[in-house]
Amino acid sequence: MTEHQASLAPACAAMLRRDLTLAWRRRGDIAMPVLYALIVTMLFPFALGPEDTLLLRIAGGVVLVTVLLAMLLALDAMFSSDIEDGSLEQLVIAPQPLALMLGMKILAHWLTTALPLIVISPLLAAMLHLPVAVIPVLLLALLMATPLLSLLGAVLVALTAGTRRSGMLLALMLLPLCVPAVIFAAGAVAAAQQGLPWFSPIAWLGAALVLAVVLAPMACAAALRIALDA
Amino acid sequence: MTLQHFLSMGGYAAYVWPAYAVFFIVLIADAIAPRIRRRRVLRELRARIARQGVRQTRADSFSTTPSP
Amino acid sequence: MSSSSWIPLWLHKLGSPPIFYRFAGVVRPWAMALAIITGAIALYGGLVLAPADYQQGDAYRIIFIHVPSAWMSMFIYGVMGIAAFIALVWRIKLAEVVAMESAPIGAAFTFITLVTGSLWGKPMWGTWWTWDARLTSELVLLFLYLGVIGLYHAFEDRRQGARAAAFLAIIGIINVPIVHFSVNWWNTLHQGSTISIFGHSKMSGAMLWPLLLMMLATKFYYIASLFRRVRTDLLSLESGKDWVRQIAQDEARS
Repeated sequence: MTEHQASLAPACAAMLRRDLTLAWRRRGDIAMPVLYALIVTMLFPFALGPEDTLLLRIAGGVVLVTVLLAMLLALDAMFSSDIEDGSLEQLVIAPQPLALMLGMKILAHWLTTALPLIVISPLLAAMLHLPVAVIPVLLLALLMATPLLSLLGAVLVALTAGTRRSGMLLALMLLPLCVPAVIFAAGAVAAAQQGLPWFSPIAWLGAALVLAVVLAPMACAAALRIALDA
Repeated sequence: MTLQHFLSMGGYAAYVWPAYAVFFIVLIADAIAPRIRRRRVLRELRARIARQGVRQTRADSFSTTPSP
Repeated sequence: MSSSSWIPLWLHKLGSPPIFYRFAGVVRPWAMALAIITGAIALYGGLVLAPADYQQGDAYRIIFIHVPSAWMSMFIYGVMGIAAFIALVWRIKLAEVVAMESAPIGAAFTFITLVTGSLWGKPMWGTWWTWDARLTSELVLLFLYLGVIGLYHAFEDRRQGARAAAFLAIIGIINVPIVHFSVNWWNTLHQGSTISIFGHSKMSGAMLWPLLLMMLATKFYYIASLFRRVRTDLLSLESGKDWVRQIAQDEARS
């Protein structure tokens, strides 16, 4: 029994290392969402005019929605290569708990897609003249909201695992589910911008994130079993 | 109350009647769609039964004819 | 012998496709007739007999379709959620069919709710749309219905699609209250105006009975529409079985 438990940690580490190595071999794919977010953010001043006051007012929301859309773009690929080479089916019948292994895959996906987006988000915010004092709150809101989106998205990607076309369908399913996350993340940034207390929306996001970290991998495992009919 | 008065809906006819029109059009479409689908399902099923029947008789005739 | 021993038996029997097909075939015309009769009486009461509202004039008469549709949009989601749960836990084919065939009807009622609400809002609040918690939840509900329908049709294997979409429906049930809560919170942040259907006026009895009767009519309509859809779906799902072939040949002769 203890031997089995001891073997879980190396298995998790191996899964994480494998996914990160695979992602590193396709570095170009990691850069894509970042470029996408940069270009979308660049379009806003051209579409709305260069007035600082207007850009400053919408900056927080624009960065959040842009990051969300960039993540959505990359979400489709979360399990696709594993489905193609059959390693996902292997994972389903492996002795290790499926939920834990999927949790590791979600973590790897978050590290390779969301983290680069968070890293460049101060640049995106600066392009829209967001005050420097608000940027830490924006980063905190993104650190809370992006894992939430990765976890929710993973459940939906698992559900569409057995289908061929899933890009637009994924957007249709995910966007209604992430309305609350967007509201609280943008609410925190807006509150900080107005000099109001911004902690409570962040706390709500944190509570939701804790729940999602526990429940989403299990839901993801159940969804995968349904979608692969295993 | 005259018909004219009823149709004008106290000046709100432009809002009340389209709302009722949407209600009825959507529900009638919802009621008709499965009817059409049912007819198609049964038609396809009958076609399949007919094809199987033909195959069956052909197979029977093959088995009864003596091979050269 | 307790009564609990025979209930699962008839439920089990009703769950078998040919028996439910016949049962739904008997119930459906009655449900449709009741829906048309109660609906006609309710509309006569609401459009002709009920007096105009002293604040809203005749525009309030949209309530007789708007509120029953809104109620049905949530009620049908509840039925779909329960059927989805049964379908996932016990893998009952009939529950899958009920869940998946409820989705288009629910989407239709949600769409009606949004459009009629918009048509009512324009003369009353001066705007077609406002980002109020109730309106936003209803819109999210429509997207959830469409997501369920889309996921169901994305699978080649229909039973597998039904189970995946059932799972999505259950996730959606958790989502709707969260959306409602978060939009309420958002409104306090942005100091948006909250909207009530009737300011402070109470509904009189002459307005209330057509509304309640219309709620009944939409329920009957749902039963009739659902049963027709379920019957069609059972025919195509079980098309290899003898009882379906029998029906196909009987209807060709008549």
